[in-house]
Amino acid sequence: MKPGVFLVKLLEIALIFFIILTLLFFLFRLSPGDPVSKMVDPMLTPEDMDHLISQMGLDRPVWEQYLIYVKNFFTGRFGVSFHYGEPVKDIIKQRLGWTILLFTTSTVMAAFAGVYLGKIAAWKKNSRLDNIMSISALVCYTLFIPWFALLLLWGLGYQLNLFPLGGVLTPELWVGAGSFVAKALDLAHHMVLPLMTLFIINLGSYLLLMRSSMLSVLQEDYIITARAKGLGETVIRDKHAAKNAALPVITSVGLNLAFSINGGALTEQIFTWPGIGRELIFAVSNNDYPLAQACFLLIALVVLVANLIVDLLYAWVDPRITY
Amino acid sequence: MRPGIRNMCNRFDRSYSYLSCILIPAVFVLVLAASCHKEKPSLYLKIGLPEAPQSLNLWLGTDANSKRILSQIYQPLYRRHPKTLKIIPWLAAADPVFDPEKSTYTVTLRQAKWSDGSDFTSEDVVFTRQLFFDFKIPGRYSKWKLIHKIDAPDPHTVVFHLKEPSAIFMSRIMTVPIVSKAEWQDVVKKALATEKPLRTLQDHVVTHPMGTGPFVLTQVKKGAYIHMKKNPYFFGTGLTLGGHVLGPYVDDILFRVYGTSDVAILALKKGDIDYYWWDIQAGHLEDLKGQDDIDLYFNKKSALYYLGFNLRKPPFHDRALRRAVATVVDKEFILTRVLQGYGTPMNSVVPSGNHFWYNPDVKTYSHGLPREDRIKAAVKILSTAGYTWQTPPVGEDGSVVEPSPIQLPSGRKMDKFVILTPPADYDPRRAFVGTMVQEWLRDLGMPAFARPMAFTALLDTVKGKHEFDAFILGYGKLNLDPDYLRAFFYSKNDRPRGWNMSGYSNPEFDAIADAQRRTIDPEERQQLIYKMQKIILADLPYLPLYNPNVIEATLNQRFKGWVSKVNGIGNIWSMCTVKPVD
Amino acid sequence: MLKTHYIHRFFAGWQIFIKNPVAKAGVFIMVVFMVMALASFCLPLLGPMYDPMTGIDPDIRLSTPPSLTHWLGTDNVGRDILAQLLEGAKVAFIVGLSSAFISIVLGTAIGMVAGYAGGLWDAVLMRAADIIMVMPSLVILLILASLFGQFNIWLIVFIIAILRWPAVSRVIRSQTLSLKQRPFIEASQVAGASSFRIIFRHIMPNVLPLAFLYMTFRVTSAILVEAALSFLGFGDPSQVSWGMMLQWVWKSGHMFQAPYWLIPPGISISLLTLAFYMLGRAMDEVLDPRLRRQAQG
Repeated sequence: MKPGVFLVKLLEIALIFFIILTLLFFLFRLSPGDPVSKMVDPMLTPEDMDHLISQMGLDRPVWEQYLIYVKNFFTGRFGVSFHYGEPVKDIIKQRLGWTILLFTTSTVMAAFAGVYLGKIAAWKKNSRLDNIMSISALVCYTLFIPWFALLLLWGLGYQLNLFPLGGVLTPELWVGAGSFVAKALDLAHHMVLPLMTLFIINLGSYLLLMRSSMLSVLQEDYIITARAKGLGETVIRDKHAAKNAALPVITSVGLNLAFSINGGALTEQIFTWPGIGRELIFAVSNNDYPLAQACFLLIALVVLVANLIVDLLYAWVDPRITY
Repeated sequence: MRPGIRNMCNRFDRSYSYLSCILIPAVFVLVLAASCHKEKPSLYLKIGLPEAPQSLNLWLGTDANSKRILSQIYQPLYRRHPKTLKIIPWLAAADPVFDPEKSTYTVTLRQAKWSDGSDFTSEDVVFTRQLFFDFKIPGRYSKWKLIHKIDAPDPHTVVFHLKEPSAIFMSRIMTVPIVSKAEWQDVVKKALATEKPLRTLQDHVVTHPMGTGPFVLTQVKKGAYIHMKKNPYFFGTGLTLGGHVLGPYVDDILFRVYGTSDVAILALKKGDIDYYWWDIQAGHLEDLKGQDDIDLYFNKKSALYYLGFNLRKPPFHDRALRRAVATVVDKEFILTRVLQGYGTPMNSVVPSGNHFWYNPDVKTYSHGLPREDRIKAAVKILSTAGYTWQTPPVGEDGSVVEPSPIQLPSGRKMDKFVILTPPADYDPRRAFVGTMVQEWLRDLGMPAFARPMAFTALLDTVKGKHEFDAFILGYGKLNLDPDYLRAFFYSKNDRPRGWNMSGYSNPEFDAIADAQRRTIDPEERQQLIYKMQKIILADLPYLPLYNPNVIEATLNQRFKGWVSKVNGIGNIWSMCTVKPVD
Repeated sequence: MLKTHYIHRFFAGWQIFIKNPVAKAGVFIMVVFMVMALASFCLPLLGPMYDPMTGIDPDIRLSTPPSLTHWLGTDNVGRDILAQLLEGAKVAFIVGLSSAFISIVLGTAIGMVAGYAGGLWDAVLMRAADIIMVMPSLVILLILASLFGQFNIWLIVFIIAILRWPAVSRVIRSQTLSLKQRPFIEASQVAGASSFRIIFRHIMPNVLPLAFLYMTFRVTSAILVEAALSFLGFGDPSQVSWGMMLQWVWKSGHMFQAPYWLIPPGISISLLTLAFYMLGRAMDEVLDPRLRRQAQG
């Protein structure tokens, strides 16, 4: 890809991001509820409430607030959470790690497994194995995530008592002088259920994608050539077809992000996994503007950047594509 | 494909197969191992919370869960006795000495230390008052304004000068936590220099709050737990206060957050926590009743759940209509069906558990009459007031029938009106009671519609904009001092965001409300408060609906000694007297 | 002339469609749910006890397992779960179909304009489509939930539609592009017809069938997103939807005690979306012969 085109794409992202930033700001400021309304202490007089509102800067004219906001944003000051009173940056830093851990592990596992199983399914097209795998994948793809997560919680967590019912660690182990291995195992133990949920949900889409990608690759000439050359079936399948078929799947991780992120937020909420998704939901229920905005912008940025990377990868890998 | 890519893919292929050979078994082993590991037994007192505390900064953390943590740390001069509910000295050494001529209260402080070992002195009290004034702390400043001067003649004496006698001096002003000058003075100085001092103060990140309470904060792991340890300098250790010999007798407390109550109850049953600091819904009781290792506690609440009317416009500007509503609403039903019997009937705007201030002698409207009798009584009130129907709810022969739409005295049909309630996920009881009220009113031919509305939007509509007909809201933890009656019904408080949401305006009431504030003699004040309740229940700007009991559960295997009091066992007395079972 | 051609093609397509076992399964499931949705209109006939929102059983005050009077049991305030399930079916269809319809209308309009106008319009519109398509809709709805405070069911429908038109517009755009070259369009242009007229009188009738085919995928995402939103507590509190039911069972702390309450709504959501998805895939195979399962090798 020409460097000029790359620059244009970067600028485009910046512009889109800025538009989203502005849109969000105005939408929030025009909203009806405000955080002070949630304070139900009967002894707070309207004066107290006005005082709090002015301290939060919500009584300034909207244009002023906007300019302040934009200036702060580009100087790295993302505001202070109304609810926690801490800088938004700190809160996000604390939560981001957990989300990345869960998210990347599940995505990588699902992608690997999806590619592996999809390749087999396409190879054995229309066989019973293929049918079972395709239908299962379809079911996984359309599963309602909260329900599935609750079922896992109920079945494996409650009935069979195999896994903890949420949270990210067992306090006693971490407060005392627990060993590193014990702590790591405890974390893994808590991670199994949310990981399983995300893994199964995402597996479906990767499998189906790999399967259809593989099917179209199998029609290509060079596969027929390979067969004619007398190469073994597994070799053709894995070294020739799968490798080419896997590329659109890997790049589709970017497109799939919207789906994965939705699922991630829901999973975090149900398993009380302290990540960005859960924090966003909390911030929205608490009318915590700065935090909700920051979480959302972070997610939007991740999505935009991921898709840019995917575009780049695709162009680099497949010379037929020009921009 | 480009050659570079092919190589990459080859390597990718190999590493893929290596990875899968390692990853999959590794994950397997990890999972197996993890599910086998046993928890080490520990003597931590483990408490579950329904939500993460908002903040450990006393000036920002106004939510219930922050208060739960902070109340172990910051202590007030006086607090209420757990049984008698009288105000007793806590950080103060004795009752204050009141000088009527000079209008002062002299308070002698106890010998106490802060958690870093330094002495608690009158300077801290003076500093706290100054903080309230400098920052106009919401909820504090409006009360402490009455103290126009404060003296600290020696390190253990404080003299409060009041402009005029105030009935709420002890109950609302002296029960406020005192903070340490040493901890806050630098922060305060910096904050006062900024443009938004209160906000700056609230944004100060507190990592090691200094307090005089039984516990200190050791560690906060965000999203996971909060660890507190016994405060070696707690002034109450060994003292007998409130009828209990205080400890604390536990060395460590671990607070954990559980998103939903069934996960928390499961944790309780499994022994992951010893106490879940939240109300348990009646639906879980069956599950818990049979368990030997679980103790259940039933306590009254100082709560008020009510139906509020908008007196500013039709149809509820008419008192007769409100009285008819009060007559037809079946409080018995709410008590038995919605609360499943775990509640107290609510006849006045002061809960009956608040025995000193509660007036048992107010007008009750339907005392558990069956449905037909209630409808008949309501119809009588309405007919006398001039309301009519084509087909009245009570027929010629005295039987109750389905009525046609009710007509106003002017002859016009009543316009449809909406009863706003919180959504079912926020509070299923209120939402459900809303639909029940809708049905009861429709029995009278009234075009009632119950509508759930998101809580913040609801508050904004009702309190902020006053754009409503009726609503069902509640106060889960009403202060035991009935001064809030003044807040709710004083005519001047009828303004946007004011606490007089119904728009009630009665000069007689206003006069008595002002008078009770200045009446120090409890017996005299009680009579005034009684009168206020009588007026409210006659005029009905709010119709009290129910007062749920608080049901809580603890694991009795490891700890015992929980103290029951109004609003439950989650209180400072429990924290100071709970001890390990040995 | 073109119309009969399309009808003929439709019937030919249907023959292929219905032979597909995936299609058969999808149609079957959908019919079951449609019956359920229609049945919800009959609920008032059964009496006030079966009202999904306000119906209470005089004898039951807690969540109870299935019984003769309540085939799926009751929720934690004594309401009938089956009644709620039926009502939820109605809501799911309404939300899914109306949201899909609006996004089809939007997507078709935008796709046609982009394809016909070309140039800058095309570039900007399609870029916007790309951006919107990759945004996680649930997250956007969450942000908007804090803006509007109270979501009305139609607002949810509308917002989902606005977020989901891009996929449709792409397809319509390419179809428009190919149509643009056709002689009859050129003739209209020469005759002096305005662009507006050409788009809506000539192009639209030819792209609409394609647009409707893509409706099925829009339906699935609309149902799932509304359910997720209601589950998190930001849905319309005056509507009983499946997502709302799951929210109640979760928040009231009954998810471990009441499998008869937990399982039906979730299965319904998954099955209905599965059905629509299967229908969509089967339709895809009708349009794209390469994907068809071959009878002989």
